[in-house]
Amino acid sequence: MEFYDIIFYLFALITIGSAFVVVTSRNIVYAAFSLLFTFFGVAGIYVLLGADFLAIVQIMVYVGGILILLLFGVMLTNKITSVEIRTGTVHLLPAAIGIGILFGAIISVMLWTNWNISPEPIPPSTTANIGRELITNYVLIFELLGMLLLIALIGAASIARRDKE
Amino acid sequence: MPFSNQEYLHLLPFIIIGVGIVFSVVIELITKKSREILPWFSILLFFSTALYSIYTIHNKYILFNGMIQVGGKAAIFNFIFNFAALLITMSSIGYLKKYGSNFGEYYILIQSAVLGMMVMAGSKDILMIFLGLELMSICFYVLAGLNRKKHSANEASLKYFLLGAFATGFVVYGIALIYGVTATTKIDILIQNFSAQSSNIIFVTGLILFIIGFSFKIAAFPFHMWVPDVYQGSATTVTGIMSTAGKAAAFSVLIITLTAVYTVNSPNIFSPYFAAIATLSMLFGSIVALTQDNLKRMLAYSSISHAGYMAIGLTASNSYSISGIIFYLAAYTFMNIGAFSIISIIEGENDSRTNIQNITGLNASKPMLAAFMSLFMFALAGIPPLAGFFGKYYVFIGAIKSGFTWLAIIGVFSSVISVYFYLRVVVFMYFKNPTEDINTDTSTFSYSAVIISGAMVLLLGLMPDLLLNLILSVVNW
Amino acid sequence: MLSIPIEYYLILSAFMFIVGVTGVLIRRNAIVVFMCIELMLNAANLSLVAFSSYHGNPVGQIFVFFVMTVAAAEATVGLAIIIAIFRNKLTVNVDEINIFKW
Repeated sequence: MEFYDIIFYLFALITIGSAFVVVTSRNIVYAAFSLLFTFFGVAGIYVLLGADFLAIVQIMVYVGGILILLLFGVMLTNKITSVEIRTGTVHLLPAAIGIGILFGAIISVMLWTNWNISPEPIPPSTTANIGRELITNYVLIFELLGMLLLIALIGAASIARRDKE
Repeated sequence: MPFSNQEYLHLLPFIIIGVGIVFSVVIELITKKSREILPWFSILLFFSTALYSIYTIHNKYILFNGMIQVGGKAAIFNFIFNFAALLITMSSIGYLKKYGSNFGEYYILIQSAVLGMMVMAGSKDILMIFLGLELMSICFYVLAGLNRKKHSANEASLKYFLLGAFATGFVVYGIALIYGVTATTKIDILIQNFSAQSSNIIFVTGLILFIIGFSFKIAAFPFHMWVPDVYQGSATTVTGIMSTAGKAAAFSVLIITLTAVYTVNSPNIFSPYFAAIATLSMLFGSIVALTQDNLKRMLAYSSISHAGYMAIGLTASNSYSISGIIFYLAAYTFMNIGAFSIISIIEGENDSRTNIQNITGLNASKPMLAAFMSLFMFALAGIPPLAGFFGKYYVFIGAIKSGFTWLAIIGVFSSVISVYFYLRVVVFMYFKNPTEDINTDTSTFSYSAVIISGAMVLLLGLMPDLLLNLILSVVNW
Repeated sequence: MLSIPIEYYLILSAFMFIVGVTGVLIRRNAIVVFMCIELMLNAANLSLVAFSSYHGNPVGQIFVFFVMTVAAAEATVGLAIIIAIFRNKLTVNVDEINIFKW
């Protein structure tokens, strides 16, 4: 199983490395493109975990949809991308303390906990399972999701459209 | 497995609103008169849902394989949300023309936000909570920025969106940890395992992250930074529903999270957290509100301190204090919507006339408005025979029952501070000479919204037992 | 296939989450802040999928599917808001989006 370990470390490195670039890059287009690698890395890890359906959805929705939208946002608003949404100094000290506490708490909790979870054999494909659950147990949520997408479309159109008059 | 027709019948409140949204979209598409039709259609929907919910309050069902509950305290919350939306729709009819965002979409978005809140209050599965939260939040992001020509609205919308999405990140990560420990998302199973898991640090971390996400939505102190700007920048009617029904929906989720504590006496491991945000929110909100001249901003800070009073009930977390919170939410809904409706009547073009100086001598020109505004201000301050007093009273009594007397004392202290800025409004209206002519040309519907809110504030103040006994009879379900 | 202990996945996801939170707190550009929020959501999705695989329970994966859909809806609305601000800035010459204090 050495091979899988190497693949895992590779994807983990891609994911974390590009996530750092997203946060630190001064250039917004670089940030958007490193986000692309993060999304791909996460999709790769989904495959390792046996979540084939989600890996495809991740690439279709995040890379094909959200990232393209973000890039459109960057291109359309290139004149304001240098404008900052906050005034004054960022409160670095409180931010650092808050992040430090959160980081320490989450990591230590994860290391200390004895997860005691035995790996289940991975089913050959999860798609059928997910599909069946979506139209039986989770049908109500599935309907609501449709409503949510409709409302997001209506809302986005009514904010972003041009005026008629 | 197929669901019987009976289940769909019990789901009627959700179906009324859900089908109503689809119909509203169709109306908006096929007719140019949708702006005249949609408000009335919405009022019809909200009225029938509110009535049906309160009528079937004792018919308790859990539907769709333990996804959603109807009846019980969910019904009371549905009543609050729908009544709030009804009043807001009434005062929107005249206001939107003045404000410049008289779109049919406005009403569709309000309906969807109400659907999201109803889903949150009735959830029996964490996934439902998440979906309801997002449905409500996305509607509010759009509603905050619906007048896209206004800088203040754009700014409010962006700020609300970014901080709301940030809170969503916390909620999702929290849910992930909870799911990791328990391998389930069913709330009933979580409630059964609450005592056993409450020493499991990862379960607690997950719940804390989840609760932090909702602390953003209730506008409690360390997570309040979006509140003043969003409340000031959005349309006044939108602020009205955001600050009342939106807050009630977030509290309904927090109450669901603590169900195990007040029904089966699990240890309340979160009471230090809630005690901290309650103390900070009450004091911060009341003290900063003292310095505000803009009425909407002043009410935003007052909303932070009211979130603090309600969080006292979560700290105590016995059946009585939880009922107190629900009563308080109902009372707060009517007081605040009344106050915001009056501001929407006085407000002029382009956000003008929302400062306290603009209502100087209101009594001389509009004695009725001044009288109602004083009623709402007294109620918000918690002056005895009004609804706001009993909200605070029940929550404080609940706290004392659980041994949090010091928290109740801080609450009383903070209420005393808050009397100053509420009474300042009254002083400006009655004891100063008018500096400018206030001409209000808002439709009679706004006035009816004010009158209905005022009547409810008086009713809840004079006969508080009526509602409290109803809540107490269903609170454990 | 699941030879790697679950802690590794969880720590990876915790790192991503913290990086996202840090970005939201220190970056000032609206679009970058939104990207950092997407990082946070991806981190949460990652641990959900890991838990789901190790528990052998599909609910986690279904939830990830919901989160992705919601993220898409949020991105749509967010972009619309940014475009509305951009339109206003074209017509009105203001150098900053800032009216209120942050």
